[in-house]
Amino acid sequence: MIYKELTVRFCGIAGDGIVSSSRIVANACADAGLHVMVNDIYSAEIRGLGKSTSTIRFAGSKVYSMGDGINALVGLAQQESIDEIKDIQAEGSVIYDSSSPADIPEKESLASHIPPEINGFGIPLKTLANQASGSNRGRNIVSMGALCYLYGLPPSIFKDQIEKIFKRKGDKVVNSNLKAFDLGYEYCKAHYPLNNQFEMKTKARPLQVISGNDALAGGAMDCGLKFFAGYPITPATKIMEITAKELPKLQGWTIQVEDEIAAIGAVLGAWFAGKRAMTATSGPGLSLMSELINLSVMAEIPAVIVNVQRGGPATGLPTKVEQGDLNISLYGGAGDSPRVVMAPTDSKDCYTGIQAAFDLAEKYQTPVIFLSDLFLGQRLETEDIKHNINHKKSTRLKPTREQLNNYQRYALTEDGVSPLIVPGEEGAYYSITGLAHNTTGNPNFESKVHLAMTQKRYKKFKNMLKDLPPVEIIGDEDAEIGIASWGSTFGAIYEGMQIVREKGIKSKMIKSIMIYPQDEETFKSFFDSCKKIIVFEMNYQGQYAALLKSTYNIKPVEVHIPSVDPVSPAKVAEKIMEVSDELTQ
Amino acid sequence: MKCVIIGAGIAGVTAAETIKKINKDIEVVLIGKEQYLPYNRYKLTEYLCNVINDSQLYFASFDFFKDYNIKYRNGEYVKSINPTEKTIKLYHNEVMRYDKLLLATGGTQHLGPVLKTFAPFIQTYYTLQDILMIKRKLSVIKDCVVYGENLSNLDLLSGLCNLGKNITYIIKGEKAFFPLLKEEFEKDVHNFLENKGINIIANDKPVCIRKEKKKYSVETLNRKVIKADIIFAWEDRKPNISFVKGADIYKKSGILVNPYMETSARDIYAAGDCTEIYHPTLKNYWINFGWPNAREQGKVAGENMAGKKVPYQIQETLTFNLEGKPIDARWWE
Repeated sequence: MIYKELTVRFCGIAGDGIVSSSRIVANACADAGLHVMVNDIYSAEIRGLGKSTSTIRFAGSKVYSMGDGINALVGLAQQESIDEIKDIQAEGSVIYDSSSPADIPEKESLASHIPPEINGFGIPLKTLANQASGSNRGRNIVSMGALCYLYGLPPSIFKDQIEKIFKRKGDKVVNSNLKAFDLGYEYCKAHYPLNNQFEMKTKARPLQVISGNDALAGGAMDCGLKFFAGYPITPATKIMEITAKELPKLQGWTIQVEDEIAAIGAVLGAWFAGKRAMTATSGPGLSLMSELINLSVMAEIPAVIVNVQRGGPATGLPTKVEQGDLNISLYGGAGDSPRVVMAPTDSKDCYTGIQAAFDLAEKYQTPVIFLSDLFLGQRLETEDIKHNINHKKSTRLKPTREQLNNYQRYALTEDGVSPLIVPGEEGAYYSITGLAHNTTGNPNFESKVHLAMTQKRYKKFKNMLKDLPPVEIIGDEDAEIGIASWGSTFGAIYEGMQIVREKGIKSKMIKSIMIYPQDEETFKSFFDSCKKIIVFEMNYQGQYAALLKSTYNIKPVEVHIPSVDPVSPAKVAEKIMEVSDELTQ
Repeated sequence: MKCVIIGAGIAGVTAAETIKKINKDIEVVLIGKEQYLPYNRYKLTEYLCNVINDSQLYFASFDFFKDYNIKYRNGEYVKSINPTEKTIKLYHNEVMRYDKLLLATGGTQHLGPVLKTFAPFIQTYYTLQDILMIKRKLSVIKDCVVYGENLSNLDLLSGLCNLGKNITYIIKGEKAFFPLLKEEFEKDVHNFLENKGINIIANDKPVCIRKEKKKYSVETLNRKVIKADIIFAWEDRKPNISFVKGADIYKKSGILVNPYMETSARDIYAAGDCTEIYHPTLKNYWINFGWPNAREQGKVAGENMAGKKVPYQIQETLTFNLEGKPIDARWWE
């Protein structure tokens, strides 16, 4: 069989090298110019030998999602891998260790659960690893060699990667891993000579592999992030790890504080002091930050708050994805408390989107909640990101000399944005408070002042349109079916649209990383051009659909997927076809 | 009750089907060494020549196994049997319990001691995998060498001839001869092959094979050197019974069975080309080779495993017959 794309899953327990295996495969493919996406799933328990899987999808053309099902499963732990068999497509493969020293009861044997439509490849992984290195370590590398042969992939791309990764451990380690790879490859060549073929791209340039969290942290630092404060939480911690390592090189700071309340407090302090600052958390952390986000709104102190969403409520599902934090992001806070909410759809959006978030936050003196999610944040993907680096970037509206003479921090202006100075600058004397205040910043509880200030805070959002990242309409312009979604569901929906397109069904999608505010005119005209609207999202309530319904007065077909796994393109396609059938009836 | 069948050829699959037809509640596990669905081995040459397609090659489908609720475990093999514990051990050390066991592992072509040394250079021609490998190389194969004198060689010759390849056929004797052929064809087969353009080298045998840059070089006992892109050779065919080594089951070349296809071990049956059954006329144990015989033996074994008591009737005819299709019909003329 000739493959144009492949999805491979490594499954095992701690110590099996699951994540490192997928990284080697992913980087090898990316170096060879293939497009890649990697998704890790691991248990929430910190202790013990929990099961983990890492799935890699690679192809000659752009990969937008994890697709549906897998082609090959590498079961490094027999029992743990049994449950993964259900995801294997017909004619797929299972590689398992045939050199277990102990007897395996039928029920616990991975091989005994492989249906006849799937090919099982028993390979003495342990024996061959021992042969290569004198220890059981390296079973994953043996399996990689096997995989390489079974799918006709060029061994050199893997070997280069093995050398690169193990170089720092010395020649002995490099050579034993290369030997392990070769043994796996040769074993399959001898025992399963009839291999599949993979269509490699010729003359392809190497691609960069990046995660959403990597891109986000990189984007923030490239546009002037100087201060990060946070408290570790899955799946956002990686962002703090990156800034901790990289920000000092840019004369910046990262501090790990005692909790999320302290983190947002520190971020507001840094912005107040004139630095671009950010915190990153997940749902439970965002809940804790609500009060100080309100302070950011009221005191008009910029803030960038990244929420890498995971399953909720409460501590919920720490290692599973869900898009359940839209409501708290939009509405979580006392009083009329507008804030910018953005949701990137891929790593490129994470990079460019977070830069837009900083610009909006600083220019419009508002909190921006940047809603990534576990799938987007942790998945690796090949992206062609054009780096936009300006470490001194500032979009702050500064007062003129004249304005400084009688400085009014909350001056009522045409677009609602008042000039903002940094404390310590000449003439920079003003009060700042969470209490209602007048234009000088002094507390004031008069009704007309409160109304004027509230209007001012909302006015900023009305005037933000010109600075919002553009909306894209994707698909067939004349389609009667329109789709709206947000965040990381984009890729799966896009691929679902391609599936139905091949069956002659047209659809189009409105893609915007802006949740609030939105380019309402464009959204409205998109919805007006559709006979049927479908809204896909990964939560139970239909939080985005509720926002769209109230804003645009539409009655969409709502698809709520409270999800632990990434959205399936096939299921998206199924829904589009269902709606298409309704239209033709 | 759990019936485990080792071997997914015609004997094994027929036994599995027979058991399920008699009693659908019996759990049946069928273990096959090859990765594929059970296929008609005698149609492989037609498949090689694209005379038949995939669906005509396979004699059992995925739906067949689903419908009969037979657990088909393909791509796996058994390395030992423990008749006392009533368990088998698969090659990856999985231990499976059985109540009744059928051994239907067939036979395989073997090379003699001289050619065994050159096995990596010799293309086997017995399994679907072999055929698929040959198909993959077909466009670059021009010159072929064939050695061996059983019916599958004749079958192969017909296929290569049909594909327009240059064939050199090495035979030990003076004339090409194949056992179990219809008498009239047997007499003419040598001339028939020569008329087809096959270069026959008689009274000779390959003794050395060398791999050169792009070709193989076959040297014969009589110092002839033949260049080839592919070499097919085998000298005899033996039952696959290495996995019963160590188990207390009576065997000679094959596993010995009584007319009920029972072996000497309790609740273990055997059928097909891996067995030897007592032939009253020959007054000896005898391998009743061939597809129709294997199917009949599988049926009888299945019935007896399911609780019946049915004897196998020895097939007296020695004429080779492929489901009523004579071997000379293979030349597609």
